[in-house]
Amino acid sequence: MRVLVIDPDHARAALVAAGLQGVEPAEVRHTTLYDEAEVLAFAPDVVVIAAESPDRDTLESLREATEGAPRPVVMFVDRSEPGLAEQAVRAGVAAYVVDGLAPGRVRSILDVAMSRFALTQQLRGDLAKAKADLESRKVVDRAKGLLMKERGLDEDGAYRLLRKLAMDRGKPIGVVAADLLAFAGVLRGDAS
Amino acid sequence: MSGLSELRLGFIPLTDCAPLAVAATLGFFEDEGLAVELVREASWATIRDKVAVGALDGAHMLAPMALAAGGAILAPLALNRNGAAITVSTALAGTIGPKGEGLAEVVAARRASGRGTLTFAVVFPESMHNYLLRDWLAAAGIDPDRDVRLVVIPPPRMVERMRAGEVDGFCVGAPWNAVAEAEGLGRILITASQLLPGGPDKVLGVPATLAEQRPDDLRACLRAVIRGAAWADDPINREDLIAILARPDVVGAAPAAIARALANEIVFHRDGASLPRREDGLWMASRMVRWGQLRAGVDLDALVDRVYRSDLYRDAAEISGHLLA
Repeated sequence: MRVLVIDPDHARAALVAAGLQGVEPAEVRHTTLYDEAEVLAFAPDVVVIAAESPDRDTLESLREATEGAPRPVVMFVDRSEPGLAEQAVRAGVAAYVVDGLAPGRVRSILDVAMSRFALTQQLRGDLAKAKADLESRKVVDRAKGLLMKERGLDEDGAYRLLRKLAMDRGKPIGVVAADLLAFAGVLRGDAS
Repeated sequence: MSGLSELRLGFIPLTDCAPLAVAATLGFFEDEGLAVELVREASWATIRDKVAVGALDGAHMLAPMALAAGGAILAPLALNRNGAAITVSTALAGTIGPKGEGLAEVVAARRASGRGTLTFAVVFPESMHNYLLRDWLAAAGIDPDRDVRLVVIPPPRMVERMRAGEVDGFCVGAPWNAVAEAEGLGRILITASQLLPGGPDKVLGVPATLAEQRPDDLRACLRAVIRGAAWADDPINREDLIAILARPDVVGAAPAAIARALANEIVFHRDGASLPRREDGLWMASRMVRWGQLRAGVDLDALVDRVYRSDLYRDAAEISGHLLA
């Protein structure tokens, strides 16, 4: 079975393709853009495409294949599993299959694609959080330095004061530290 | 948010998303008690799927697309009339008239010399653009399925594909015809208002479940969009409308190109343009049958009545005091 993954998000396409390799003997390719010559040459049984790809409408038109158009594909709508199409739409994945492919095989492909889409989102979320955490740690360090200088505290004392301020105000320590630095900047005349 | 009902509405970067963009930008949704998130989507297929499953509560949609969904999607409001046009490459423009005069000769000459068929693009199989272009080709003596190659390209990509020499002509909505002309790539041969005066184009498509489960929110949404359409039609607001549409997160095209179809082509609200008229639905259904998208024998009247819900429009419009033409 040949599966083509089209996704403008290259990293996610690669992740989906790698996941599909493990499903069953399948030849999997991934690409960021629909290319007619490539599709004709590869002749996929299934096309898995990201909902955010503008090429979806072009694929959609192949259902009405006429002379000279690539092999016909139909969107997977299995009436026996009405929830599946909705799940896929919400996950951001669409699939087009050559007419006649067994629904069970499509299901396993879609399942992998959906879980890899979710995994990508989680990884990106983790990365964003890690960056924010790192940023927050830098801000806390600078606020500690400010308190040590202005209040003559040692590092531990400065951290304890920040933590107390955070608890008193019910805000994360990074936010309190950023506020403190901003106020210090105003008092120094940075914003005037 | 305090007590506002939340709605997610999708759109495609085209001038006729104006009633939605205006209502969102000027706070018309909030005035009706709604917190609306406008989501730009990359394809019509994704718009259709998201509305059909309720992942979007409504969207800027090709009118025939709502009919093709068979009842899962309702069209309680028309977003605009006219706005599309047929544009051909500058190379072709010199030899073809506005009604396709001379095109059959070009097709025959290319066939005789083995230079391959001409390629025309539309935005989606179920679209006014497809039907208008097919009718135009047929009237010029061209079989759209045999004599030329018809492909589908999303609206914001039409111009780049013409620049790459991959398409010889297309039928697309504003502002992309004017953009092609401004860039010296193509020439507008004929507009939708000349092909089918006052013809339908986009609708607000909503999930049938929204009308059942949240009728008050739907009514509020329609009122805000009707207000947006009326504002967009008023010449006094023209410059502000162009500024709203030109923003990169809305249409993202040059203001001069956007201005062109607004001047004398596209209609959002006046003369009852917002009303989803039964005859519009029937015209499109007849084309869907003609071009093989609907089986002959389908009850077209019943289909149109199920999808084209002028009753929902009237219900909302009369409460808000807007006059129906």
